Order: sequence, then C-alpha cells, then structure tokens
Amino acid sequence: MPQSPALAFAFVAPALLFLAAILGWPLVQALALSMQDVRVIGSPGAFVGTANYERILAAPEFWRAAGLSVVWVVANAVLQTALALSAALVLAEKFPGVRVARTWIIITWIVPTVVVVVIWRWLFSTSGGIINPLLVQSGLIERPVGFFATPWTAMATLIFINSWRWFPFIALMILAGLLRIPGDLYEAARIDGAGTWSRFRYVTWPLLAPTLSVLAVIGTLLSFNVFDVIWLLTAGGPAGGSRTLPVLIYETAFKGYRLSEAATISVLATVFLMVFAVIATRTLEKGEAR
Amino acid sequence: MSRPVGWTAALLACLAFFAALVGLPFWWVLTGSVKLPQEIIARVPTMIPHSFTLQHYQKLFSASDYPVYLVNSLIVAAVSTMFTLLLALPAAYAFFRLRFPGRALFYRTILLAYAFPSIVVLIPLFGLFAKVGLVDRLPALILVNVAFALPFAIWMLRSFLAGIPKEIEEAALMDGASLLAILRHVMIPLIAPGIASVGIYAFISAWTEYVFASVLILSDAKRTLPVGFSGIIGQYQIDWGLLLAGASVAIIPVVALFALIGRGFVSGLTEGAVK
Repeated sequence: MPQSPALAFAFVAPALLFLAAILGWPLVQALALSMQDVRVIGSPGAFVGTANYERILAAPEFWRAAGLSVVWVVANAVLQTALALSAALVLAEKFPGVRVARTWIIITWIVPTVVVVVIWRWLFSTSGGIINPLLVQSGLIERPVGFFATPWTAMATLIFINSWRWFPFIALMILAGLLRIPGDLYEAARIDGAGTWSRFRYVTWPLLAPTLSVLAVIGTLLSFNVFDVIWLLTAGGPAGGSRTLPVLIYETAFKGYRLSEAATISVLATVFLMVFAVIATRTLEKGEAR
Repeated sequence: MSRPVGWTAALLACLAFFAALVGLPFWWVLTGSVKLPQEIIARVPTMIPHSFTLQHYQKLFSASDYPVYLVNSLIVAAVSTMFTLLLALPAAYAFFRLRFPGRALFYRTILLAYAFPSIVVLIPLFGLFAKVGLVDRLPALILVNVAFALPFAIWMLRSFLAGIPKEIEEAALMDGASLLAILRHVMIPLIAPGIASVGIYAFISAWTEYVFASVLILSDAKRTLPVGFSGIIGQYQIDWGLLLAGASVAIIPVVALFALIGRGFVSGLTEGAVK
C-alpha cells in the first residue's frame, strides 16, 4: 500500500510521545534520583554515586522484602494457575448457561481493589463476619481466628485473596487456548481408546503448555507489582510479615521520606524483573524452537 | 456428545465450587448491606437476610463524602477511557498496517511498559506534576491512567485489526478511498466490539486505580472512590453496614457497564491474547 512514513508517524507519535513523557522520562529520573541523596519531594540532593545501592544491598530489610516478594509471586502463581486451569477446563465444557458463566466469572477482577478488600476483611472478620462463625459452628475451631494477626497467616490470607481476584482473568486466557485445540484431535484420541485422563495428558496438556508458560511470565510480572491489596489489608504487617518490595518502596518514600532510597529499591526491583522477563522469554522461545 | 454420569456429576461439583467461590462473597456483601446492624454481626451468619433496612445507604450518601468520590471517579474513568481510545486507535492501526522506520522496536518498547513496577515512576511523576501544578488535580490521574492503559489498548486493538480479512481493506482501496477514509468508514466500524473491549479495560483500570490516586491527590474533595472509600474504612469505628453499602455501590457502575457489553469484552480479551 503506497503511503509515506510521515503519515505513519503522525499516527503513532501522539501515543509514543505521551508514553515517553508519562512513563519513559520518569523512569530515567528514577535512575537519576537513585544516585542522589533526596529525602523529601522537591528538595535538592547531592550526587552520591552508588552509595544508595551499597547501603540498600547491605540492608536486611531489603533482602527480607525481596524474599517475601519471591514467596508472594511463586505462591500466587501456583494457586492462581491451579484455580484458573480447573476453572478453564470447566468453562470449556458445554452446559446450559456456559456463556453467562464465561462472562461473569471475571467479576472478581472488574471491581475496585478496595471493594475486594472490604469483602474479604468482612468475610475474615473476627467480629461477625462469615468464615469465623462458620468454622466455629462446624466445630473446627473454638474461637474466632485472627487471620491477619500473625505474619504467616496474614501472608497466606493475602495470597488467597489476590489469587481469588486474578484467577478468573487467567482462566479466560487459558480458555482461549483450550478452545483453539481442534475437536478432531479429541475425537481421534477417543477412537484410539484414550480415556478422559489420557486425552488431557496427551492432547490438552502439550497443546496448552505454550499458553500456560506465557501466562506464567505475564502473571509473575503482574503479581509482583501488586501493592494495594496488601497495603489496604495489612499495610505490610504484622511485624513486616507481608512487606513485599512494592510495599517497602512505598513506605520508604512516603512514610520514611527517603525518596532516593525508595528510587534505588525500585530500580533494583526493575532490574530483577527485567532479568527474569528476558530469561523467561528466551527459555520459552527455545522451548518453542525445539 | 453424551457424557458418562460420573463425568457430569464431577462437572456439576466443579461448577458449584466455582460459583460459590466467586458468587458467595458478593452475595454476602450485597445482602449484608441491607441487614440491620445486629444481624450483620450475629454469631450465626444468615444466607438470606431476616431484616431489611436502607439505613446504611442513607448514612453513606448523607454523612460521608462518598458521593463526591463517586463523581470524581466517574469523571476520571470516563475521560481516561476517551483519551486512551483516541491515542490507541491511530497507533494500533499504524503498528498493524503502515510501514515506518523503527516500527518493531517501538512496538516492543511499548510492551515493555508491563515489565517494570509502576511504583518506580510514582516518585519522579510526583515531582514532575508538582512543577507543572498538576498535583492535587484530577487531570493528573487522567494522564497516569491513560499511560497505564495505553500499551495494552494498542496491543489489543492491533490484534482486532489483524482479524479483519485483508480483502475488505483492499476492496476499499480499489474504490479509491483514502487511508483516513478507510480507517474511519471501514476499519473502525468493523472493530467496534474490539473498541468496546478496550474501552471497558481502560474504564476498569482507571476505576480501580489506587496507588497513584492516593499520592497525587491531597485534598479530600478530589479523592477518587478507591482512595476515599479506603479512608472511610479507617476513619469510623468499623461500621460494617456502611462499608458493605459502600462496596455494593462501588460494584454497580462496572457491573452495569459489563452487563451492556461484557460478553464482547471477554471474547475480545481471550481472542486478543492468543494472536
């Protein structure tokens, strides 16, 4: 099609310039900030080179938060994918109302996080609530349990809530992959005498694996960045038990007023994520080439 | 195709499990919001409300700033959606059809926007907005929301464009239509469902955004719903009735939007993802 590059640039330039101004430029500034000593927004800071990096990399809180972030990402990935895969397998079947189910399952993802927070704070509440009374009634526990009261139960509860919010979204992505598998393959497998399990193991699974691995990478990036659910439910507590890297960055910048240190942590987090994304994408591409 | 009885039973059990997992929390919140306070904190939770009252909603709309937050959020989300579409449509078309130097590089860089933690740009953006006088103003949130929705919007619209048979576009070209005319009269009507999907996506992400709204907005009268509502959570001696009513109202706009064009959104999301 005959067309000048100038016209093409007129089409993309607004979006590109906009992204450069709102995301690109601040990213560069974050890098600059991490090499200065700025405490409060707007105040000038002296150039300190890599001093911030040396201090952060030696700080136990940083490594603790990084460790919790890894726990957070891995546990979410496992729980989310397990729930999403089984939901997708159910939604791929034909039953009355399947279209409605496919549309509305995603409701957990379209409501504001703050609503998710209110819902689960209420359900897990120790005064009233739903889950504690049900557990007490069924005789599993004697008195209400404070789900957010100890570091590990708080983390586990948060992981459950975040996975609850995200699994329908992932399920729909997996469903898209499932629906692309040609029906004849199942028919052929059936004629060869394959049962339900072997049809899943030898037809569904190999064809679905590429979709699942792409989703694993995207899911990791998305769940690493989760901040609001954690902040609104536990604020990183108790005793720092749910203080993942995004929470640490927010606290350092806006509670501790150490902007440069916060920028340093965020640059380090970005580097970790980029390295992960590059390695993961390479591995995926190699897997596809094989 | 007929299924063995055991299989159907297992399917039903799974369906019931997921319906309960997703549906019950919403059911308890919606019904809780119309229960009397003493029933809300009753030792034995009730599935179907035994009492009915609108007092929590009355309190929400008369004694708190909730209506202000609601309006602010609607403004931010609607305007963000409009600008996201205005920027994303031509860009998606250019990335899909037009040739220009650096096309692949630009496209990949845009997608990279997902790989870094958004909190990184929060600190410098605050400084930047402070300099140009945008702090504590709703346009600041609109700029941020558009920036975060834009990469996904371009990506999704591009895959919708890719789904249009090439012959349609070629036929229009043969008829002597200009590029702009093709985009306006042929491509855009054809990807209307895609545009609706991207619009929903942009609306939802702006409607739910919390972090930037909590830092960039300082005065109570300009808070959006997620931030204002989270303030209500802490500010009162936990008043569950009020919170459940607030949560119910915050669900309504997205559910209404979704009821109108939700089916297209889901198929758009899933089709966009696999191309």
